[in-house]
Amino acid sequence: MKKTSPFLLCGPVLAMYALLLAAPLAMTVLLSFNSYSRSLGIVLTWDLRNYAEVISDSYFLRIFGRTLQLAVAVTLISAAIGAPEAWIISRLSPRWRTFSLLVVLGPLLVSVVVRTLGWTILMGGSGLLNQAFAALGLPRAEMLFSLPGVVIALTHVLVPFMVLAVWTALQQVDPATENAAASLGASPAQVFLRVVLPQAMPGVLSGSIIVFSLAASAFATPALIGGRRLKVAATAIYDEFLASLNWPLGAAIAVLLVVSVVAIVLLWNRLVERRFAAMAP
Amino acid sequence: MSFLRLDGLECRYGEFTAVRHLDLEAHEGEFVSLLGPSGCGKTTTLQMIAGFVTPTTGRVEMDGRDLANVPPNRRDIGIVFQSYALFPHMTVAGNVAFGLEMRRVAKAERRDRVQRALEQVHLDHLWARYPRQLSGGQQQRVALARALVVEPRLLLLDEPMSNLDAKLREDMQLELRRLQRSLRITTIMVTHDQNEAMALSDRIAVMRSGRIVQVDTPQRAYERPADEFASTFLGKSNTLRGRGVPGGVALAGDTVLPAETGGRVGDVLCTLRPEKIRLSAAGGRLAGTVVSRLFLGNHWLFQVASAVGELLVYCQNAGAAMPEEGDRVGLDWDDASLLVLAAEAG
Repeated sequence: MKKTSPFLLCGPVLAMYALLLAAPLAMTVLLSFNSYSRSLGIVLTWDLRNYAEVISDSYFLRIFGRTLQLAVAVTLISAAIGAPEAWIISRLSPRWRTFSLLVVLGPLLVSVVVRTLGWTILMGGSGLLNQAFAALGLPRAEMLFSLPGVVIALTHVLVPFMVLAVWTALQQVDPATENAAASLGASPAQVFLRVVLPQAMPGVLSGSIIVFSLAASAFATPALIGGRRLKVAATAIYDEFLASLNWPLGAAIAVLLVVSVVAIVLLWNRLVERRFAAMAP
Repeated sequence: MSFLRLDGLECRYGEFTAVRHLDLEAHEGEFVSLLGPSGCGKTTTLQMIAGFVTPTTGRVEMDGRDLANVPPNRRDIGIVFQSYALFPHMTVAGNVAFGLEMRRVAKAERRDRVQRALEQVHLDHLWARYPRQLSGGQQQRVALARALVVEPRLLLLDEPMSNLDAKLREDMQLELRRLQRSLRITTIMVTHDQNEAMALSDRIAVMRSGRIVQVDTPQRAYERPADEFASTFLGKSNTLRGRGVPGGVALAGDTVLPAETGGRVGDVLCTLRPEKIRLSAAGGRLAGTVVSRLFLGNHWLFQVASAVGELLVYCQNAGAAMPEEGDRVGLDWDDASLLVLAAEAG
């Protein structure tokens, strides 16, 4: 193989990334330096006034805070549900394993919008959940247009990614270590917490990165369940672009969102690598 | 009173029977090996003792107590797995301490016992390493220390040496035997390696197709194999087909050789160990021709064509000149060396 071959082989993919990812991203960054006036539209200025506006406005800071809260909550709940789920599935007989994996991954085949609309039906003021609460004598819960409602629906959308990541990590685990722990006196819960989970941790952490970045930038679920009342970064960007027509401000929010997600993910990755360098096979 | 008792143990997976009606007893402090080829049910038997596999029927009793409703983590059994199954995310000391933690042993005592257990296997200097930083032999010794530190009542070894090279295996066998004898811990080992089974065990249970063929001391199992399978699986053997006649057996070529037939007449199987045959220039019971010979260091292996068929012969390398390929030789042995087994089933 010649020295240039790797570059030639990667070429098509790199070109596609350059055209479809890097170029629009660069244009968004450039756009964020422009300004907007009601009478003139986009004005080609080159300054940071949009960033200053976002950072100094408590309205936008609240939106970013809410986005972070949402992403962290969804990531934690997905890990708490996804990791044991992946372990249980990996311990099933082959036939049930295939079936269960299909059940877990099946929802990915259905549009996020459809799944989220399903949640609005369940969560609505007189929806199934509230009818059930009423039947049990519990108070009505306002889940639509609330953060918990968005967290629940988004967790449902993203948990399969966590299951997949943990599942992949569990494939590397010697099942005999579980038997070894049991023979040394560990109860099933101790086996999971002390032996399975630490070995599955690289999977949980990489799953967290996927779920966190998807949750932080999710649009459809927050838009449908949170609505205008409960904006997150992605829906705020949408509104700036299409309702206020203030494209430069929307672009600035978008750039801030991308930068903060990338920063958090890189930092996280760094911590993970340092922590697990010693035990990696 | 035996310490461990397997009573009519059976394990079926649908149509397939892995272990059929297995009875076995082990006394306190005894080392018993389950020896057999892969797929003979020996590992399934071990897993039923450990509690990882539930027997279809039959009982496992330890010290007079039925273990049927005792989960694996309450059986007080130490296990060394074939893959060692060390916890990759814990240090050597962490691995060894795990069982003590589960038993809520106080920290100071835990440290002492981990230290002592690692000294026992000569690994106390490596306590801070992670398993992947150890060689196979070291990992195996950590696994042994981890199983023994909790002072279990029973030790199970699942092919413990199969991942070690020959030299290391011999060292580990000596060390394992020394440890087992000094701790006087009842031990069940699963292996397909006859030398390992003979070197370590007080008794060997030879298994085939889910059944125990023979349980005996290593010497008796070797010298008086119960059937052809036991005779060929434990060491090398010449198997000869013949008929029982008064005073001996009639083999191929109408050669009648004296042997203790136990009054058997009709078709019988005979077995003759290669090292029991003596080669001489001429004379003896049979004449033969050397077909091939292999030099194996401390001994020679000859293939000799004779009237009763081809025979394997071991000769000690005592420095004397050995017959060459093509040479005529005489074959001789003691009457008692030619064993007559029960007629072949089927």
